[in-house]
Amino acid sequence: MKKILALTLCVLLTVGMLAGCGGSGAGDDASGNLTVALVVAGTFGDRSFYDSSKEGCDRLAQEGVTVKTIECNNENHMQQIYNAADAADVVVLVGWEFYDVETIAPEYPNVKFIWIDNATSAPVANVLNITYAQNEGSFLAGYIAAKLSQSGVIGVVGGEDSDTINDFVVGYKQGAQYANPDCKVEVQYANTYDDPAVGKECALALSEKGADVVFQVASKTGDGVFEAAKEGGFYAIGVDSDQKYIADDVIVCSMCKQVGESIYQAIKQYQKEGDACTLWGTTWVADMASGLVGIGYGEEGSQQQVSDELKSEVDGLAKKIIDGEIVVDTTR
Amino acid sequence: MGNIFTVGLFRQMLRSATPVALAALGGLMTEHAGIMNIGMDGMILLGAFTAVAVSIVTGSAFAGTLAAILVGILVGLFFALFVVKFKSDEFIIGTALNIFAGGLTTFLLWAIFGVRGTIRTQAGLPTVNLGIIGKIPFLGEILSGNSLFVYLTVGLVILMWALVYRTPLGFWIRASGEHPATLRTAGISPERMKWLSSTLCGAFCGLAGAQLALGNVTMFSEGMSNSRGYVAFACVIFGGANPVKAYLAALMFGFFDALGYRLQEYNISANLTSMIPYVITVCMMVYVVVRGSRKKAKV
Repeated sequence: MKKILALTLCVLLTVGMLAGCGGSGAGDDASGNLTVALVVAGTFGDRSFYDSSKEGCDRLAQEGVTVKTIECNNENHMQQIYNAADAADVVVLVGWEFYDVETIAPEYPNVKFIWIDNATSAPVANVLNITYAQNEGSFLAGYIAAKLSQSGVIGVVGGEDSDTINDFVVGYKQGAQYANPDCKVEVQYANTYDDPAVGKECALALSEKGADVVFQVASKTGDGVFEAAKEGGFYAIGVDSDQKYIADDVIVCSMCKQVGESIYQAIKQYQKEGDACTLWGTTWVADMASGLVGIGYGEEGSQQQVSDELKSEVDGLAKKIIDGEIVVDTTR
Repeated sequence: MGNIFTVGLFRQMLRSATPVALAALGGLMTEHAGIMNIGMDGMILLGAFTAVAVSIVTGSAFAGTLAAILVGILVGLFFALFVVKFKSDEFIIGTALNIFAGGLTTFLLWAIFGVRGTIRTQAGLPTVNLGIIGKIPFLGEILSGNSLFVYLTVGLVILMWALVYRTPLGFWIRASGEHPATLRTAGISPERMKWLSSTLCGAFCGLAGAQLALGNVTMFSEGMSNSRGYVAFACVIFGGANPVKAYLAALMFGFFDALGYRLQEYNISANLTSMIPYVITVCMMVYVVVRGSRKKAKV
């Protein structure tokens, strides 16, 4: 009797397990309800890169997509990829840190992965890499900075000395020199993304060297740059999101990388085309032509330091970049 | 190299050193009482959050600072409850406190203000102009116009030195760490001294957080203590728990920190320059330990 009971239980459990597998592995089901897991390498609240990805997913959520979010807080990136892949049909990984996707993605053939800001070393069948031509956007930021500068010296505060950050820096330098060949560009790395006090010190050190426009590429550390600009009476340029609203008297413009919009577009395309979608296994470089990288001047009614004349010059330069007349340096 | 050692460098040194020095003043109290306190980073973070939160609500930076000190005292009592009363491992409690502070501040920032990441306040601690002293070239320019606590810290250092080395209370606190049994025979409870030193440590760390969030900048940002508590702990050890020496250690740390940022100009990798203050700290620690062991050998 006991044996029969044990056997029945075993069979039941096995069937349950198989049923469970079927459920989790399924793509978008008949009702078209997709589950998206948004995994960010840091935490939300940077008012820039990660928050932008969240905005894109919030829009998807309004259109009936189930969105789950995971914040890695700069640790356990690999485990969080597994957690997300177990729970969703599409996993969006925001941050260059998620290298492990290259080995994990093949284990989940039914799940699609979108990796933001970096690319797998070789194409993986179910991974879409999205990288941004931040160098092209930064070129325009550098141009504006050099045009606004009275001293002929401009600065940039970078989060760390890494390829992604330096991609901003080289574009910024080139843009500044395009506007004014004598313009000097000073670079200061903060080596932290969470410490506004350090960001402020970096910006003040740049100001001491004569810089009167400072571009921040340092997440929360960059908040200190804005404060230094207010105190020291110089201009600042925001990054990734349109940050003008934070301090519209000193932030002249922002170099926007529309992470959220690109995620939104990619997932919409996947929803529309389903299995015929050709995005997977490719790298999408969101460049100036895609409209996802560019300059933001804040909402209507905010204080403007950039003249309309200069704005139209910048638009002209953007066209030249799209047409390939200007080729912007890159570290990638 | 002339354009490295500027007024800006020394002003930056004072600014970066002040929160670290304040925390170190607290840390040396627990050190004297024989408690290894690595929870200072969390205490600073809680102080910074409280200072900003209260200054937003009341509009006064001083109210924020006072609240930060009060919260610091509470956290110090909490720390002492586990370490002194329940005799838990201080290393574990300190680590737990650091992790707890990170989570709690993030949670409260969301729960109270509905924001993530960063919040600004309009009320900052005032700066002080030294009048005629500020007119002295170079030195005056460095010394004048700093945040209020840059000056008050110097006074607190002297006060704490007097407390530790010139009052019976300081003597008892030191005895509670070095020879608790002897202190007990003198009719004074070492546990009470340990409670007191933990509370003082919390108060100073709260103040350090307030200075960081309302003096250095005027905002709170998640994780903004950025390991300053550990640096303060290094200053305590390095200064032999002497307030004056710990303050000098904090100044030295601030100096090399500021210098590191300026050396980037000479095409030295930022990853290397940011190591300078820490490498110097390790070198000094080795020196302190070696010197200590030689002294013992002589005896």
